[in-house]
Amino acid sequence: MSGSATYLYAVTRPVDGSSVSQLRGIGGAPLRVLEVGELGCVVSTVSLDEFGEEPLQRNLADLGWLARVAREHDAVVQGLAEVTTAVPLRLGAVYVDDGSAAVRVARLRAAARATLDVLDGREEWGVKMYAVQPETEPQTVPADRPSSGLEYLRRRRGELARKTIDARALAEDADAVFEELRSVSVLARRHRPQDPALSGVKRPMLLNAAFLVDRDGRPEFHRAVERLAQARPEGAVVRTGPWPPYSFATLDDA
Amino acid sequence: MTGIAPRNESDGLADVLERVLDKGLVIAGDIQVNLLDIELLTIKIRLLVASVDKAKEMGIDWWEHDPTLSSGERNLVEENERLRRRLGELETASEAEP
Repeated sequence: MSGSATYLYAVTRPVDGSSVSQLRGIGGAPLRVLEVGELGCVVSTVSLDEFGEEPLQRNLADLGWLARVAREHDAVVQGLAEVTTAVPLRLGAVYVDDGSAAVRVARLRAAARATLDVLDGREEWGVKMYAVQPETEPQTVPADRPSSGLEYLRRRRGELARKTIDARALAEDADAVFEELRSVSVLARRHRPQDPALSGVKRPMLLNAAFLVDRDGRPEFHRAVERLAQARPEGAVVRTGPWPPYSFATLDDA
Repeated sequence: MTGIAPRNESDGLADVLERVLDKGLVIAGDIQVNLLDIELLTIKIRLLVASVDKAKEMGIDWWEHDPTLSSGERNLVEENERLRRRLGELETASEAEP
C-alpha cells in the first residue's frame, strides 16, 4: 500500500497558519490549518504505509510505535494550546484527504464550538492519589506465636478488620480530595485508576482525576493541591500538567 | 528490583497514553482504526504488557487478579459489542445534527 492521508490533531479557534509553523507533526511533518467555517482544523500528511487500515492495526499493538506517535500527537496539541484554544482529538483520526476531514468536522461544528466556549482560557491539571503506607506506623504483629488455633483465628480476624477499615478510610479520603479540588475548579472528572504495569508505579492508585481550571485560578488550585499533599504521607498526592484539555473534550457529556 | 524505567518517564507515558487514547474528542475517520479499536486499546496494551516474559521480568502476577484479563476473550467480545452499539448511537446523533 502506498499514498498519503490526512491526520487530524485538534479543532481550534481560527488560527493563522504561520502561528503553527514552529510545530512539527507526526514523523516531523509540517502542519496545515484547514478552515471549516469559524473553526480551524490542524492536520498533517501521514503515509498510508504507516496509517492505512492494516498497518495501523499492526502498529497500534506495538507499544514502541504507539508511545512515539502518542507523544508526537500530544506535542502538537500542547503547542497549539499555547497559541489558541484547541479541542484535542483522540489519536487516530485519519482521512483520505483534507476535504474529507473538513466534511467530518463540519458535521460536528456546533458541538465543537460549544466545547471551545467551555475551554477558552482554561487548562487541565491531573491529580493522582496513591495508597502510601505511613512509615511511622510499625506493623502491630505480636512477637509471640499464637498460643492456640482459636487465638490465631482471633488475631487473623482482627487483621482483616483493620485492613477493611483502612481500605474504606483511604477510599473516603480520595473522595474528599476529589471534592476539595472540584470546589476550586471549573469542571472535574474521575478516570479509572491506571494499571501499575503501564504506569510503573506499584502502589495502589486511589484517585486518578482531571480538573479544568481557569488559567487565572492556577495559583489557587496549586495551593489547594499542596495543602492536601502536605496533610498526607509523602508521594500520596501527585499533580501533573498543565495538559491540553483532553479530559474535557468529549461531546457526549452533559 | 532493578531495570525498571525511571518513574517519571514511565509515569508520563501512562498519562500521555491515557489521555491521547482514551480521552479527547472523537470524530470518525475514513480509515477506520475504528473508534472501537481505539477504545479497546487500553485493554490491548494491558494484554501486551501482560506477556509472560514481561510479567516475569517485573515479578508481578496482577493479571491473575484482574477480571478483565482472567476471563479472557469473552469479555473482549462483550466489550466490543457494547462499543459497537455506542458507536451506532453516536453516529446516529452526529448525522442528525444540522
